[in-house]
Amino acid sequence: MSTGKSDVLQGTLDLMVLRTLESMGPQHGFGLAKRIQQISEGALELNQGTLYPALLRLEQKGWIASEWGTSDANRRAKFYKLTPAGRRQVTRESCDWERTVALMARFLRPAE
Amino acid sequence: MSMLGKRVAALFRKRRLDGELQEEISIHLAMQEEEFRARGMSAAEARLRAQREFGGVTQIVEAYRERRGVAWVENTLKDLRYAVRGLARNPGFTAAAVLSLALGIGANTAIFSLVRNLMLRMLPVTRPQELVYLYRTGGWGRGFMSYPLYLDMAKRADIFEGAAARSGIWRSRFSRPESAGVEFAQTEYVSGNYFGLLGVKPAIGRLIGESDNLTPKGHPLAVLSYEFWRNRFSGDAAVLGATVVVDGQPLTVIGVAAQGFRGVEVEHHPDLWVPCMMYDGRIMNPGMNWVWALGRRHPGVSRERIQSVVDAVMQQHLTERYGKNNDADFRKSAFGQRLEVYGADAGISSLRFLFGKPLLVLMAVVGLVLMAACANLANLLLARGAARYREIALRFSLGATRARLVRQALTESLLLSLLGSGLGMGFAVWGQQAILGFLPSKTIDPFALAPDGPVLAFAVGISVLAAVLFGLAPAWRSTAVDPAAGLRGDGGRTTGRPVLRRALVVVQVALSVVLVSLAGLFGASLDRLRAVDVGFRNQNVLAFKLDCPAKWGHAQRQQVLDGFVDRVSRLPGVASVSYGFPGPFEMGRASASIRVPGSAATAAKSAEVASATVAPRYFETVGTRLLAGREFDAKDTKTSSSVAIVDEAFVRRFFPGVSAPIGRALSFDDSKPEGGERTFIVGVVQDIRHAGLREPSKPTVYSPVAQPQAMGGPSVLVDAQAPPAAVAQALRREMAKLSGEVVLTEPETIARHIDDSIFQERILAMLGGFFGVLALLLAAVGLYGVVAYGTAQRAREIGVRIALGARRSGVLWMVLRDALLLVSAGLVVGLPLAIAAARAVRAVLDGLPPAGLTMFASTGMVLLAVGTVAALAPARRAARMDPMATLRQE
Repeated sequence: MSTGKSDVLQGTLDLMVLRTLESMGPQHGFGLAKRIQQISEGALELNQGTLYPALLRLEQKGWIASEWGTSDANRRAKFYKLTPAGRRQVTRESCDWERTVALMARFLRPAE
Repeated sequence: MSMLGKRVAALFRKRRLDGELQEEISIHLAMQEEEFRARGMSAAEARLRAQREFGGVTQIVEAYRERRGVAWVENTLKDLRYAVRGLARNPGFTAAAVLSLALGIGANTAIFSLVRNLMLRMLPVTRPQELVYLYRTGGWGRGFMSYPLYLDMAKRADIFEGAAARSGIWRSRFSRPESAGVEFAQTEYVSGNYFGLLGVKPAIGRLIGESDNLTPKGHPLAVLSYEFWRNRFSGDAAVLGATVVVDGQPLTVIGVAAQGFRGVEVEHHPDLWVPCMMYDGRIMNPGMNWVWALGRRHPGVSRERIQSVVDAVMQQHLTERYGKNNDADFRKSAFGQRLEVYGADAGISSLRFLFGKPLLVLMAVVGLVLMAACANLANLLLARGAARYREIALRFSLGATRARLVRQALTESLLLSLLGSGLGMGFAVWGQQAILGFLPSKTIDPFALAPDGPVLAFAVGISVLAAVLFGLAPAWRSTAVDPAAGLRGDGGRTTGRPVLRRALVVVQVALSVVLVSLAGLFGASLDRLRAVDVGFRNQNVLAFKLDCPAKWGHAQRQQVLDGFVDRVSRLPGVASVSYGFPGPFEMGRASASIRVPGSAATAAKSAEVASATVAPRYFETVGTRLLAGREFDAKDTKTSSSVAIVDEAFVRRFFPGVSAPIGRALSFDDSKPEGGERTFIVGVVQDIRHAGLREPSKPTVYSPVAQPQAMGGPSVLVDAQAPPAAVAQALRREMAKLSGEVVLTEPETIARHIDDSIFQERILAMLGGFFGVLALLLAAVGLYGVVAYGTAQRAREIGVRIALGARRSGVLWMVLRDALLLVSAGLVVGLPLAIAAARAVRAVLDGLPPAGLTMFASTGMVLLAVGTVAALAPARRAARMDPMATLRQE
């Protein structure tokens, strides 16, 4: 990863979206994309458009739900929000991630 | 909208959803653009940057679409796998469910297929909805009319674009130059405009046209049906111009009708068409009814208008022909005739008149059966849903949505239903065959039973409907689960009584009440007919006719008949053989006008009686009791004194108070009050039911064959001990030795003829009984399930009661009482429905006995008994419960 940027694994993007919706509440697609880029501080090679198939997948799994509404700038937009099942999914996957990260960290720690 | 709904809708609303995505993307781009501009970029630069950030729109849309489709297929496959696994795990449940559905769907499909064939299948002709046919009623037979009457109708160009005539479809002797032996073909005589009116085209050659039906005996032509051409002439075009002989008339084949056209009759199909003018008889005789009129009405002319014109033409026709007739009785019966106008879009059918209404009643009955099967299945699914409570709670807490679970449950229902309809199609084909087996063989040609498009669509349609009917409520109910409580153990289980399941049992009982009482009604109707004394005991007697060449005269026919009777009577195992016209089950066809000297009944005018001609030993052969005097014998010849045998009805009418009027006289010469030449009564026999089991016997005079009053083709009667098939074979062998030109019609037992005359009642009673029992069985299963579940749920309570000293019989009664309460609720709902249903059926079908109180009362008793039996096993289990074991388990 010489460029310092990373491709996104599908599963990770899902979790990122869910986690963002959990912390920010209902969001439209553009808001989500911006927020994810902000948090990753440009470390993520993400075409914003990739977000939409991911949103559909999450909706099909019943983790998020969508609805047309009006944005702050009084513009029509489709808003996504977390469902109860999605909330449980965030908790579960966060735990998984933490465990994975902790495990990997143990392997990558310089030998003592 | 639910998730499930969204996905289903997505299938049908692709375009709209694509539009939605496009809109979402353009909003996204606009927002990004705005932001870049706010940072100070130029409009063009902002747009470019926004697009670059977003990535390729087309790829995104593609990926999105793919995802949308894939998920649907993926989920469906997953649901199907899950459903298959679930069903395979519970083979008992699956078998019960599939079987009850298969019976319900199979019954519906079988009846629908008959309804379709008999009433709904459109004729393959031009604009069939414009076609009507005229059906004659009111005496002298039904349906057919005379050729002059048809011509009067055809003149009415104000209502008809044209009107064609056709005879019935008659079995004819048929031969080709190269054929050996006797062959038969179905012949239909048609007017010259028949094919033109229908818009039927030739496959090869030409069809009969207007100029082919002008002068009697002047048009020796024939047109073949496509199937006949294929089967008998191997589709050889050389048939054009060939000569065939039909009932002794040589005819030239001029063409073959288009493939698929099989005439206008539903249940009989002609092999060849011949111009009406070639019909062997006095065509213009107004008393000879032998054609059906088929009209094409002008667009916009209503059926009512046609009826009123037809009525007027008929009145005029009758006045011209019979207005001056001196015989008041004759005039009355002539003017009693009427022509009824019916739509011919689905063809002409005599069977429809006989069987259409019973068939529609059966359609309603099988609809109820399917409802009962669905209620039963919903009940089973609810029971299973309750048993799967924890599994469902677990899946909820693992993140499944309710919509997802409902969808899964519905997939399972659909799978069950489709399995049921698969098996049901098998039942349907078999059931339809069985029903057709009940129809008199003469009423219908064998037809292909392979279910066609509409029938398959119907079967699939009702199975989907059934799946929704029985699947939706249980799917919804069993996913109403609080996951937390569900996982804790029994805490989440719904307490109290399973209301929905109990309601379903009540519905099942109510449906059974309706079906069982209808079955009772149909059974009573059949019983009433079966109780009628038909007037002959030997119902295993085989009856048949001899088919002689058309050109044979009376003497030649009689000679073969005598030779045949002589040979057969000497066959081993044949108890007796005789013959007569018209035959014991076709009586009433011939009549005579007589005077009875000394009788007040014929003092003023002659009387009409049924007449028959019988050979020696006739009554002995069929088993009719001879009440007085003797049968005819060899000494009753043409030259001996004229003699007759009469029946009881005759004695009652003409010799009231006389027990045996042997030696009294009657006269077939009705011109004078005291008659002319006298015929002396030598015997009295018991009444034979002439015109079916419902009609009382008419006064009848039997004459010896040597002194016939009227004689057509006689029925030969053979009383033999061997099985009918073996006897029939022996009979054919004897005839072959005697003459190669005479053929026996299919020998049938008299019992079969009687059955044929009441086939509607037999079918209704058989199917009604079958479905009544089926509904009872389903209700018993449902009741058993609910009671067993109830006692399992109340195990602790019952254990405590027993531990506290409740008597076992008390527990038994407690459970039974609950079951009987459900049955009673079902009776309260079902009995009024049953009474209404019986009334509706009686309004549709003729000749049903009134449904009395006793019938409904016994239906109620049957259901209470079935309910008791169904509840007894769980009740006894509850009463035998070991309280300690139960309490320990908790």
